[in-house]
Amino acid sequence: MAKKTTAKKKAPTNNAQLNDDIGEENRLKMYRLQLEVRHIEQRAHDLFFQNLIKGTSHLALGQEAIASGFGTALRPDDYTFCTYRGHAHTLVRGTSMTAMLGELMGKECGMLKGKGGSMHLTDVEKGAMGSYAIIGAHLPIAAGAAWQAQYNKTGQIAVCFFGDGTTNIGAFHEALNFAVIWDLPVVYVCENNLYMEYTPISEVTAVEHPAADRASAYGLESIIVDGNDADAVYRVAVTAFDKARSGGGPSLIEAKTYRHSGHSRADPAKYRPEGELEEWLKKDPIPMYRQRLLDYGVKEDVVKGIEDSVMAAVDEATEAAKASPPPPLEYAYTDVWADGGSSWRN
Amino acid sequence: MAELIYREAVAEAIAQEMRRDESVVFLGEDIAKAGGVFKATVGLWEEFGDLRVRDTPISEQAILGAAMGAAMTGLKPIAEIMFSDFLAVCWDIICNQMAKSRYMTGGQVDMPLVIRTANGGGARFGAQHSQSLENWAMMIPGLKVVAPSTPADVKGLLAAAIRDPDPVIFFEQKSLYATKGEVPDGEHIEEIGKAKVVRDGDDVTLIALAMMVPRALEAAERLQAEAGISASVVDVRSLVPLDTQTILSEVRKTARVVTVEENPRLCGWGAEISSIIAEECFYDLDMPIVRITSPHIPLASADELEDIMIPSVDRIFETVRQEVD
Amino acid sequence: MDVLMPQMGETVAEGTLTAWHKKVGDTVSASDILFEIGTDKVEMEVPAQIDGVLKEILVQAGDTVDVGTKLAVIEGSGEETNDAPAPAAPQPETPKAATPAPAQSPVAPLVDRPKRDRSMKLSPVVRKLLTENNLSHTDIVGTGRDGRIKRGDVLAYLKGPASVPSTPAPAEAPGAISGEGITVVPFSYRRKMTAEHMVRSKATSPHVLQAVEVDFSAVNKARQTIGPEWKRREGYSLTYLPFIAKAVCSAIKDFPRINGHIEKDHLVVFDRVNLAMAIDLNFEGLVAPVIRDADLKAVTEIARATHELARRARADELTPDEFANATYTISNNGSFGTLITAPIINQPQVAILSTDGITKRPIVIEHDGEDVIAIRPVGILAQSFDHRAIDGSYSGAFMRRVKEILEGKNWVESIS
Repeated sequence: MAKKTTAKKKAPTNNAQLNDDIGEENRLKMYRLQLEVRHIEQRAHDLFFQNLIKGTSHLALGQEAIASGFGTALRPDDYTFCTYRGHAHTLVRGTSMTAMLGELMGKECGMLKGKGGSMHLTDVEKGAMGSYAIIGAHLPIAAGAAWQAQYNKTGQIAVCFFGDGTTNIGAFHEALNFAVIWDLPVVYVCENNLYMEYTPISEVTAVEHPAADRASAYGLESIIVDGNDADAVYRVAVTAFDKARSGGGPSLIEAKTYRHSGHSRADPAKYRPEGELEEWLKKDPIPMYRQRLLDYGVKEDVVKGIEDSVMAAVDEATEAAKASPPPPLEYAYTDVWADGGSSWRN
Repeated sequence: MAELIYREAVAEAIAQEMRRDESVVFLGEDIAKAGGVFKATVGLWEEFGDLRVRDTPISEQAILGAAMGAAMTGLKPIAEIMFSDFLAVCWDIICNQMAKSRYMTGGQVDMPLVIRTANGGGARFGAQHSQSLENWAMMIPGLKVVAPSTPADVKGLLAAAIRDPDPVIFFEQKSLYATKGEVPDGEHIEEIGKAKVVRDGDDVTLIALAMMVPRALEAAERLQAEAGISASVVDVRSLVPLDTQTILSEVRKTARVVTVEENPRLCGWGAEISSIIAEECFYDLDMPIVRITSPHIPLASADELEDIMIPSVDRIFETVRQEVD
Repeated sequence: MDVLMPQMGETVAEGTLTAWHKKVGDTVSASDILFEIGTDKVEMEVPAQIDGVLKEILVQAGDTVDVGTKLAVIEGSGEETNDAPAPAAPQPETPKAATPAPAQSPVAPLVDRPKRDRSMKLSPVVRKLLTENNLSHTDIVGTGRDGRIKRGDVLAYLKGPASVPSTPAPAEAPGAISGEGITVVPFSYRRKMTAEHMVRSKATSPHVLQAVEVDFSAVNKARQTIGPEWKRREGYSLTYLPFIAKAVCSAIKDFPRINGHIEKDHLVVFDRVNLAMAIDLNFEGLVAPVIRDADLKAVTEIARATHELARRARADELTPDEFANATYTISNNGSFGTLITAPIINQPQVAILSTDGITKRPIVIEHDGEDVIAIRPVGILAQSFDHRAIDGSYSGAFMRRVKEILEGKNWVESIS
């Protein structure tokens, strides 16, 4: 049965606060995370047009609530895997903004030493086990990380984020079947932003809900959540994580959302029907969540304080990353093998 | 010393390593209860159980993806891909993910895993189950590539591969599974990246891999007996890392080189070795570098047709006899 | 059936098709005369050998081709006869499997093996060893296939004469001396080639020797003027040879038929003068590399070019191109102080000049209407010419012109 929650504007009452299953601390964290993602993505957008970020990058403007909601429910030693549109998912694990912007700008301080770029952001120390640029590849890989947790009985889980387009590729189907038969502690999260690159997902998918309608093919429950409501996302995450941690096996969650920008920097997204963007901008997660905080009794100056400190952090990280030099040329020849080298002969 | 069959050496190597290291796990199709379609992993499930030796569905991408995720997070997985021809089905995981993740993440990601696969022809399985695909792996930076020719090398090199912190693709030759050889007792481990001179000679050097090694050796016997040509034979064993020192020093000794490759002509490993020799030993050569390979044609299945395509002892003998003056 | 140029006589390598007796489209019977051929030695008529229709003619009357060349195609109407024609065309050697294949398995066909041409190619290791040890390939006897020099041959040479692979001693003439006091000197490859060329040249050309005596004082004036400066700057002496070469080139302008190649029945005359300079390689052999367009070069340029060619010849650095397209040859024996030499023509050229010793001699000159004796540097220039192409008068006139130029030109001016 599909589970659906919507953000309702509620007047704060003592009862609401007393029955709050999420708690102010988590909410403040989720707000901060959404802001961080929003501002980092916008900063990346601006730096691209200043020609300081090259190549391509895929921004998650408008989709911040998903990474933030799931991110807040994670344990620090859990594993996350995401796609090339992965700035958000990496950021919410607590990675350094300077290292992230530095990597996008190809600098020495970049989290990947300037060798991976936007599409491969990884911070193993923080459990961010990689951003993957081949559609579907990371689904079975996430299952493998979950296998380790199961084998060593660590209680860790793996959470795997991907887009609606991924549900039509072979690796998706192999990974889900595999995870289910081995009861692996992995949670698969499909961010359905209605478009597979430039094509509406509905035109290329045999079912209406690309992930949720396939869950039953693997014996899984169909779960749909409003991806623009961080609280709704958080609740679904907690349920799925507990299930996985307790040996209940994998979950497949479809989070509905919308991306404000094109598929990538190169895409002005002219294929969207008129009015669609405007409709979704009305459901922008961040203003909605700001209001939610106020509704739950958080003071305006506290909220403003978060906004200011996030902005300041992003500005500081931008300057630090800009000031970092390009990577030393030796980096080109290192890290092919575990010994740090790249030699194929003697 | 004991005589082992090539296929038994596979299971022995895995058992040896699984006994000494709890983090070694093994997955693949029909590898556990059935002991593998080539009977190369018999006894492992019985000794190590369901948790460490696991059968999978027919899902090569999932098998390798899971191996990679496990390797990234602390396990040392061995994954079997039944026929090397199936590498095509999961090639993304191998060449885009496993080979490149450490590099792209600036060294953050570990990848201590082994992919074992049955490679090569001679078994009449037809074109889609008989290819020699070690060359696919050789040309992707970030992969180590090993192809043993004897049971002793199977055991020693597979053990080394399992201990190796980098991704190793281990190509077993399916027509060698039934062959026998002496293997040292006790723990046996070889060195990846070292070739072996398996026969000394003065007039010409035959450079061979896997199933071509015993054929080159037999041809060398005939060359000595029937043509008075003294041939040395080098078993390359590892394509990556490549033991160029051993190869080049043999070339300088005999001044003549012939490669013996099971693969079809284009881009076989012998082409790369020929290029290195031509560049670094040009002034030591007394003869053009000659390559003996299968023709650049899919392998046929009928006995006579497959046998004429894969280099035979006769063809190796005739070619060397004609070329060496 | 392919009709091939037959071989008549063991040593005949080519033949000239002198006439066709049938044309394309004609029906022929086996005994009809199809064509006529001629070689140096013999003329003959060749029958069709099978019944049929002459489908194609590939070689025209008057063409000379190698033995075995396809001349025509006859489409046989009945069974083709396999009788060998009276003069048998040599069959190409069929490669045989040297060892009998094992009874059970067929000998595996070699897949796409290229045909190797081993003739006189020096492999990289052989070149390296020769250079490192200051050897010429002419020093080494090759025991590889087709006489190729192998690495082992050079290494054996370096080890010492005891290990040089023994070449069969030359067939002893009846009554030859044998035993102690004999040293067998095998002919190197270069020696063998030279021997063959010399015999063939003498057999081909009716050689006539003509000589002039030249007073080199005009040349000597120029030599003395710039000689010391030249020696200091270039490191070697300015000899008479470049002057002689220059005079020859100028004389050729007036007597162009000297500068040509003789074919069977015609002379090919060249506009360009490519002068071959015979160079001795330390008594081990002769090479004659070419100074191209020598007539366009100044004396000093010819001197430098000759010196450079000699250096490179002795260092074994000459390439095949540098021997190609010679039109006239000068053989310089002057350093030995010989009186006169009758050189052998460098085929297929018309003539060759020998320069010999130039010494101070008393000669009679006219001075103020009186005959007086003067001491002058004098030397003989002797030309061997091929009497098929030119006669003594033409050659003599040419030699007189050479002498006139050498004696009369203002060499001092042309040198500065």
